[in-house]
Amino acid sequence: MEIALVGLSHYTAPVEVRERLHFPEKDLPAALHALGERSEVAEAVIFSTCNRVEVLTRLEDGVEALPLVVDFLAAMRRVERGAFESCLYHHHQREAMRHVFRLASSLDSMVVGEPQVLGQVKAAYATARAVGTVGGVLDEIMTHAFVAAKRVRAETGVAAAAVSVSYAAVELARKIFGTLEGKNVFLIGAGEMSELAAQHLMEAGAQAIFVANRTHARAQELAAKWNGHAIRYDDLLSHISQTDVVISSTGAPVCIIRREQVQRFMAERKNRPMFFIDIAVPRDIDPTLNTLDNVFLYNIDDLQQVVAANLRERQREAARAEEIVERELDRLLLRLKTLELTPTIVALQDKLHGLREQELAKARLDGLTPEQRAAVEEMTRSLVNKILHLPLTQLKRLPQQPDGLRLVEFLRQTFRLKD
Amino acid sequence: MSLLWLWVALGLYSLGLAHALLTVVLRRPAWFRTGLAAIGLGALFHFVSLVEHGLTVDRFPATNIAEATSLLAFLLTLGFLLVYWRYRVESLSVFTFPIVFVMTLASALSQQPATEVAPVLKSSWVPLHVSFALVGYTALFLGCLGGVMYLIQERELKRHRPRAFYYRLPPLDTIDRLGSRVLAVGFPFITVALLIGAAGAAGAWGPGWIHDPKVTFSFVLWFIYLLLIVSRVSAGWRGHKAALFAILGMAMALISWGANYMSSHHTFLGH
Repeated sequence: MEIALVGLSHYTAPVEVRERLHFPEKDLPAALHALGERSEVAEAVIFSTCNRVEVLTRLEDGVEALPLVVDFLAAMRRVERGAFESCLYHHHQREAMRHVFRLASSLDSMVVGEPQVLGQVKAAYATARAVGTVGGVLDEIMTHAFVAAKRVRAETGVAAAAVSVSYAAVELARKIFGTLEGKNVFLIGAGEMSELAAQHLMEAGAQAIFVANRTHARAQELAAKWNGHAIRYDDLLSHISQTDVVISSTGAPVCIIRREQVQRFMAERKNRPMFFIDIAVPRDIDPTLNTLDNVFLYNIDDLQQVVAANLRERQREAARAEEIVERELDRLLLRLKTLELTPTIVALQDKLHGLREQELAKARLDGLTPEQRAAVEEMTRSLVNKILHLPLTQLKRLPQQPDGLRLVEFLRQTFRLKD
Repeated sequence: MSLLWLWVALGLYSLGLAHALLTVVLRRPAWFRTGLAAIGLGALFHFVSLVEHGLTVDRFPATNIAEATSLLAFLLTLGFLLVYWRYRVESLSVFTFPIVFVMTLASALSQQPATEVAPVLKSSWVPLHVSFALVGYTALFLGCLGGVMYLIQERELKRHRPRAFYYRLPPLDTIDRLGSRVLAVGFPFITVALLIGAAGAAGAWGPGWIHDPKVTFSFVLWFIYLLLIVSRVSAGWRGHKAALFAILGMAMALISWGANYMSSHHTFLGH
């Protein structure tokens, strides 16, 4: 069994190369079909996204994967070999399977843990299955890759920590308040990033939103978007004390929220915590606010620092994910052994011929002449071979079928063939 | 037999300890489910050990230091399981399991054959006083752990540079509520323990009871505990200050525990 993966990705090829080799979704079935037609190719799946073009194949024994795929890509995408050959990587057997597992688990992505790639791999698999280029072996590899991806997601934090500034703000709010339910948000000023953060906070369950803006009409417009309340810019200080999260991004040249003001209303609100997010440059909020008890202040640099730390945390978690991938690979390889048919065929033959010999020994053939005895033996032997012929022919075709492995196992159970 | 069960419990607690150590060394949760299951099962054996010991010596099984330590370790485990069941705060295990292990180990090593105890310790009020006091200590201890966790997580959030703690510890609000609830539950127990103790001591030791160091420290402890509760409710002392106060409460409880060695009356053997 020869499993190979040949391809290129954002790690090895610039976008100029990737865009020329990329298979648009509508061309994929035809390409798979063409690949499956080749006599050396037993099974094939093509992954083609904006970040990668990769061909996973099971080849007949002794076939070289690299020249075959180069040839295929050059012919299908009408690109001269020299333009992409140097960008290709190729993996065999366990390495090829590992690559698919890591791909599905989002460990090979530009942002580790990003959720889209699993969907893309699933789509590629579905297409190949529909075209009919997925047989028992690749089916087994792909379904195991999805199991590994699911475990990685559930058991590690590769996808946990936020990697955008606006989501990082929501996560910080959760680390302070536990839940956002019942919490009020105050949005001062406007801007893409602050509106996005407010949007995420509302989606995360925040109760109500207040909006203030130098242009009151703009505040009303934004407030309407989330069913919130527009506050007159001059009144904003009297409303801040009723809110829990304050996002500020005005164009004001000086601080609009000062330490003494906050200190005063922290007593009023019985020290319930407050979270200030200052996205404005120059800053809107007195930086010394952060030293007050139960007050947490983050400016744009702080948020970016959190995102950087989150990325490092994802990398650390990725190391654990790699362990899961290795364990799942071990399990896959164990299962694939069943698909190597020779042991099953031999076992089946031994089993039936063994039964035949047992029955011959039990039969009372003493009265027969040597010729008659030979004839009986010959007859039973050919009978068993005839019976074996059908299942064996079927068995040899099984690796081509998506359910092949299950059928081999079924056969082994039916005839009680020991492992 | 009871000692055997205690060693079985200790063996199970050691898995909890392994979880805590691995988690600290690897800087990520490891063996949590194993540790949790082992701790739960260990508590069961621990309980069996306590009951059997009590039946064997035919008195309340917490009249000397070793016995009281064993009971306190058991109550801590129980307290942890209750808090975990209610708040799902995994990280508390890292702090609790090693201490439970060490206390149980100390108790198992210093268990002595049953000796005759002073008659005053056979009075019916002593078991009540001891159990209530130990439940109160348990609450103070968990409250103190909550305080430590709060201060760590607060520091992470104030410094703006998240490290491993930020990702593993629960949200500030959860820790804060946990701390206040635990302390609120423990306060009535400490109060009752103090009242029973004071009444019993006045009866048994005579008029000089109030000058005993143990009595003094216990009243100071109770007063700090009272302040802890009152300041939270009336002045809205929460978060940082409440966390510091909870740690102070635990420190005072340790001193009060230590005062057993200074006291001429309040020793476990009851001279």
